[in-house]
Amino acid sequence: MPASGSAGGKIVIGAALCQTGIQAPLDEPALRGAQLAVDVLNEKGGVLGKKLELISMDGKSDPVTVGNDAKQMIDKGAAAIIAPSDFDFGGPASREAQKAGIVGISPCASSPLYGSKALGDKQFTMSMWNTTMGAATAEYMYNKKGAKSVYVITDDFIDYTKSLSRYFIARFKELGGKVVFEDTYTQGQGDVSAQLARYKALKEKPDFIYVSSYMPDLALIIRTFRENGINVPIVGGDSYDDPALFEALGEKYGNDVYFDTHSFLSTAANPKYAEFEAAYEKKFNKKPDAVWIVTGYDVVMLLAQAMEKAGSTDGAQVAKAMENTEFDLLTGKLKWSDAASGHEPNKAAALVQLQGGKPEFLGWVTPEKIPAP
Amino acid sequence: MNEFIINTLSLGSLYALIALGLVFVYGILKLVNFAYGEYIMTAGYGLFLLGTYTPLPWWSVMLLSVALAALMSYLTELIAFRPVRTKSLTAMLVTSFAVSVLLQNAALLFISPRSRAVQLPAAFNQSVALLGVTTPLRNLLTIGTTVALLVGLTLLMKYTVLGIAMRAASDKFSTTRLMGVPANLVISVAFIISGLLAGVVSVFWVGRSASVDPLIGFTPLLIAFIATVIGGMRSLVGAVAGGYVYGLLFNVLSITLPASVINYRDAFMFLIVILFLLLRPEGLIRGSYTEERVG
Repeated sequence: MPASGSAGGKIVIGAALCQTGIQAPLDEPALRGAQLAVDVLNEKGGVLGKKLELISMDGKSDPVTVGNDAKQMIDKGAAAIIAPSDFDFGGPASREAQKAGIVGISPCASSPLYGSKALGDKQFTMSMWNTTMGAATAEYMYNKKGAKSVYVITDDFIDYTKSLSRYFIARFKELGGKVVFEDTYTQGQGDVSAQLARYKALKEKPDFIYVSSYMPDLALIIRTFRENGINVPIVGGDSYDDPALFEALGEKYGNDVYFDTHSFLSTAANPKYAEFEAAYEKKFNKKPDAVWIVTGYDVVMLLAQAMEKAGSTDGAQVAKAMENTEFDLLTGKLKWSDAASGHEPNKAAALVQLQGGKPEFLGWVTPEKIPAP
Repeated sequence: MNEFIINTLSLGSLYALIALGLVFVYGILKLVNFAYGEYIMTAGYGLFLLGTYTPLPWWSVMLLSVALAALMSYLTELIAFRPVRTKSLTAMLVTSFAVSVLLQNAALLFISPRSRAVQLPAAFNQSVALLGVTTPLRNLLTIGTTVALLVGLTLLMKYTVLGIAMRAASDKFSTTRLMGVPANLVISVAFIISGLLAGVVSVFWVGRSASVDPLIGFTPLLIAFIATVIGGMRSLVGAVAGGYVYGLLFNVLSITLPASVINYRDAFMFLIVILFLLLRPEGLIRGSYTEERVG
């Protein structure tokens, strides 16, 4: 086994991201962003005076494959592992990284489980946790919009949607808001008439609806409500950040939809975005089309900064540097808590509004109070 | 109540079309075509690609997409199913799995694993007030289109030589061949009609969420299975009846089940399916006597 991370005068980063299967919509763009970041860094002379090399293996949206991929890439000398953007799929890659004593980081896993407590002291997620994601919109709706009651639909197919609703509700109730009804939906059901009927039967109509689901059925849920004449605001998390959803809702139904996510594809979110966009267009001949590209890009940039700061690719030293640095990224400022307190990310959420089917950036928000995980 | 009736009729119509498309091929080949959901996907991507990248008007985008599903169905018959037709039924079943996986992955690789938004005509984005209920115009279009298609198909099957040949083939395939009816023709036409129905289904299915993704065909396929088990695998009328009964059951369960158990709605649906399999395996409508298919 070659010395960790410095195989032949270059630094290897292994991406165990899923290019196929249900995880692909998040991971495939992330890999594109990571490749771009490696190119940009190498043009500037690399990291620690060495060239960066990104190796990648398809995790196929299968936790076992993801774990095996990570193991193989570690054997090939990877100095750090980029794990899929979900606790269930990304966890196995992080566990392999932890076993090998190197850093594992997920661009967008937002589960509060993704951190040092469940995975080990060298494991991180670059995403805000669902605690922040749920609380940020709860505070925005209650404080800024004066909305006091909500009807919640939770997709119970995956952990992400369930925990997001839980933290949203916890914060909204704490503020004094009222949850009129907690409804559920299961991804793939393909019909929302039951939820619609229950909404219509409510004696007290809520000020807005919180829908914690994801594409493709998210478009179906929102459209069904709008088509049936229900025009109260609809609010959710980062799964809304999908151009396919904006287009599917269109000018007619894409109104009064609010969500918080990781960044916004314009210089409004960060002046440095222009530089990123130009580099992306040069490499791929099109404009960036998903926020997950930016998070993939940021992950590599962050690892490079941490390695420079540590002056080494040694896992323990890089992890220490990650804990001790406040990062300024395209996806906002980020500071992790130390390993003993779980590597909780202190990160702002980008608040976005959909009007006329077009996303508008409302600003970066940090919740006043974040529910305990 | 009016709302319930409109929803049930529109959902039932869609499910009836879905089931009918599957049974058309089953009736003649005795093949449960697992690739059927991918014909729906094909038309969905037709709507996306033609609607986004060509200046064609929406009605021709729709017609071309439906035709594309029929073409895909015909091509799979020609390339994948015909060579194994004389082998065992199991070989065909496995082939249909292979075709399904192949088409799904083609969409995944060549288009995107992410869902894509489909441009819909204004009529699909409108809601109308009918009998005191606000309902999407699309629901009414679904009902109307289904009725028109059912009438058209009934006429085709009853009064044309082709239709009579197809009914004869689904009854006694070998005898029909002895009478001089070409097997390839009958089977190809069955696949084409199955594809056409999948295409029409796709327009309305995609119309609800205005987006298409590689796995979009799975739920309709499952619906088709349940509807045909309820209605009867061997008769076209049974498939249509099964679709409407399924739509009715679905809506009744949606409304009557308390919120705490609504997520087990599918479990209740499958319970009903199991009861059907145990107590009335031939479905609501018993098909006529059928013999084993002979290549």
